[in-house]
Amino acid sequence: MRGFRASEDMAVSGFNRGSLAGLLLSLLPVPVLAAASPTEGYRSVPTPPGVRVQATELDGPVFADAKGRTLYHWPLGQLRNGPTGDPPGKSECTDVRTEMSAGLMSPYPGGLQLPDLDQRPSCADEWPPFLANARARPVGDWTIIERKDGRRQWAYEGFALYTSALDRKPGDVLGGRPDKRRGDYPVSRQPIKPPPDVPPGFAVTTKTTGRLLVTAKGDSVYASDRDAPGRSACDAECAETWIPVLAPAFARPQGEWSLVERSPGVKQWAFRDRPLYTYGLDGDTNRLKGGDVPGWHNVYLQRAPAPPAGFTVQDTTVGQVLADAEGRTIYTYFCGDDSMDQLGCDHPTQTQAYRLAICGGGDPGRCLRTFPYVPAAENAKSTSRAWSIVYVDPLTGRFAKRGQDGALRVWAFRDRPVYTFSGDRRPGDAFADGHGEFRGQRNGFKAFWLRDDFFNGDQPGPG
Amino acid sequence: MRIRLRVSIPATLLLAAWLPAAYGETRAAASPYLKDGTIAYAMTSLRWATYLKPDARVDCPDGVNDGPREQFTALFPDDGQPRVLAETQLRREIQGWFPTTRPDYFPYREPGGTQALGLNLDGKTGPEDFTSLDGEPGIDNQMYRALGCINSWRDAQGINDSLNSGEIVTQDYNRLLVELNGVDDLVNDDAVEVTFYRGLDPLHTDAGGQDILPGGTQRIDVRWGGKYIQRLQGKIVDGVLTTEPSDLLIPWAVFNLPADEYIRDARLRLALAPTRAEGLIAGYADVESWHLQMMKSQSTHCQSYGQQSSMSLYKAMRRLADAYPDPQTGANTAISSALRTTFTQVFILPESKSPLAGAAPPTRAAPYRGTPFPRTPEEEARDFPEVAAATADP
Repeated sequence: MRGFRASEDMAVSGFNRGSLAGLLLSLLPVPVLAAASPTEGYRSVPTPPGVRVQATELDGPVFADAKGRTLYHWPLGQLRNGPTGDPPGKSECTDVRTEMSAGLMSPYPGGLQLPDLDQRPSCADEWPPFLANARARPVGDWTIIERKDGRRQWAYEGFALYTSALDRKPGDVLGGRPDKRRGDYPVSRQPIKPPPDVPPGFAVTTKTTGRLLVTAKGDSVYASDRDAPGRSACDAECAETWIPVLAPAFARPQGEWSLVERSPGVKQWAFRDRPLYTYGLDGDTNRLKGGDVPGWHNVYLQRAPAPPAGFTVQDTTVGQVLADAEGRTIYTYFCGDDSMDQLGCDHPTQTQAYRLAICGGGDPGRCLRTFPYVPAAENAKSTSRAWSIVYVDPLTGRFAKRGQDGALRVWAFRDRPVYTFSGDRRPGDAFADGHGEFRGQRNGFKAFWLRDDFFNGDQPGPG
Repeated sequence: MRIRLRVSIPATLLLAAWLPAAYGETRAAASPYLKDGTIAYAMTSLRWATYLKPDARVDCPDGVNDGPREQFTALFPDDGQPRVLAETQLRREIQGWFPTTRPDYFPYREPGGTQALGLNLDGKTGPEDFTSLDGEPGIDNQMYRALGCINSWRDAQGINDSLNSGEIVTQDYNRLLVELNGVDDLVNDDAVEVTFYRGLDPLHTDAGGQDILPGGTQRIDVRWGGKYIQRLQGKIVDGVLTTEPSDLLIPWAVFNLPADEYIRDARLRLALAPTRAEGLIAGYADVESWHLQMMKSQSTHCQSYGQQSSMSLYKAMRRLADAYPDPQTGANTAISSALRTTFTQVFILPESKSPLAGAAPPTRAAPYRGTPFPRTPEEEARDFPEVAAATADP
């Protein structure tokens, strides 16, 4: 069993892996950080008055309102039996509380009364619209739409904007999911972001380990310890395996991006002075395999905060998974309901009916024994926003007050408790990965994957 | 050329004679594929050995089973009654994820007749045993009783049959290699060592991408695949490899979730040719591992494609399980079964084995033991009391 080891990749993180300094820096707007630390940059675009760019620990820079609340959109998406979400120029998220399931996910029909109706919010309660005042005017990709109740609402790239009732502080991204997800995941809300500060031909993807630099085709990008700043030591033989990421003749240095001349007229991209390569043996996109070769590292625009002290990394048949101190795989619970609103049901402030069904057959006691919370030691302290310590009522699954009778002090990721599975018997077991509806994509548990070598990098980390 | 197989022992022997000829091969020891007494193959298909009988009146005399959609409609007819999600949809999901051995709400339909594919696993002939297509008695394949009348598992026409087997090829996680060592020739050898590995590389195909060609190379997955390194002892008689029974873990991920099958007392019976091998893997499938693999591979939605009700199937498998009794309860935990499989020759790159030199043998895998705190049949009866009252306990 090994302690958490997240340092084998190129140290380009803006967060000092959970240090207090990193935490404080993370709460500052990106422009402040850009000069002081190598946090992920972005390209400036025109924004309405009051809209700013906010640094976040896990999702990179996001747009936020004047109070620093992350802005989200909810683009129309197709589910098994039909679409839901916002079409361009229109908001479908209203003040009317939805009471019945939509039947968008087969085989169950729609028209079933949703759980905990007495506590169920409306879509707009959960996702308050980002309203525009009467004087607001469109700017750049920012436009204004009219809601059904006549109020004006900001839109970005055509889609209506919202904040999340779950976000409490600037830099929180607790409501939405980092990326649009494929498969049978709900039609989710995603934070909107300024364009990444990467040249054409590159992209950034959110992994549990950080914001990973990839090519536009999704191939992971690497840097070598053998390279001096601004100079490649990878000769022709090396370049058969480590393929230089070449820049077009008209490319120009920009920001943290520079060019290395490999031979007359042949330019290679460099990021933060490190020449960039892809790995010929990666086999597929979003891979971390090249980092196994001594001296080579994946490139991150910023690293995710380190998990709590004492957590470990375990090898599985897929790759690596985060585990507790005893080596038990960590799981997150993921839930989105089958209503037209696609509201979340995986946060302790939301209905627990789905989770209790899938973790314990409806019995909170069985749930607790089958998927125990991960207790935070008495002296444990959270060192990041992503990993926090929360109090939960184990029987209801709701947040509890500190000192409340029976309340458990447990670790949470993205403000949601994490779990182990008592059916896992050895380090590296991940039997409960996919336990739940739609293979864990709608109402179920997913292992906290740090590395996936087999499923095209698709093992989704926790949302 | 694809071969559709109906295998029993005599059939395997016939196949062994025919297979090399079919590919224009000889089994000469000098074959370029057999080097220094070693030949390796990659698995290219794997199917639970169900068998469609030509006479429909015998095949599934009571018809095929209902799936989640049909069962939901039966439990909750569209009669204008208001329904609550927690008491309908979620209770059905609970039954899938926390299955019990309570008698099913619905009749379970099984194949008729006495013939099935498979092997005689216990060396006996009992009343539940089948007869092979060639008349060999004592064939143990209770899995066929469980799966034979579920549309999605029916041989060569069910979606699971083709989908799951297709993933054997397309999903690198499932790249199972088998290497034979100490082979003097591929016709008769009284002692060969058979080692399973997981490979790391895509299979070598023709230009169309469909037919898998021999001669491809594979690296062994030493980093993550230690659990799949498994050794068996075997012999080759008249071109047919047979192995001694040994537990076998088979990587079998479907739809991008890691999952495995665990076969107790597994044995291979493969007709060998220099470029191909095919036949059966037979043994006792661990029921809880099987159920988990299926549940992880298929949501209730996917189960509905082929009218497969996971809770009904689980009850049937537990009822039909015929080996490995639980020491506490006495209930059998494994079910006799057979898998049809094909392999294509590959070369394993020797350097990929070098990390194994001097390394401790990998930890043997253990089967999944089922949900650690299962529901009781009585609890399940409370889910749908009206229906439960109408279905008697045994």
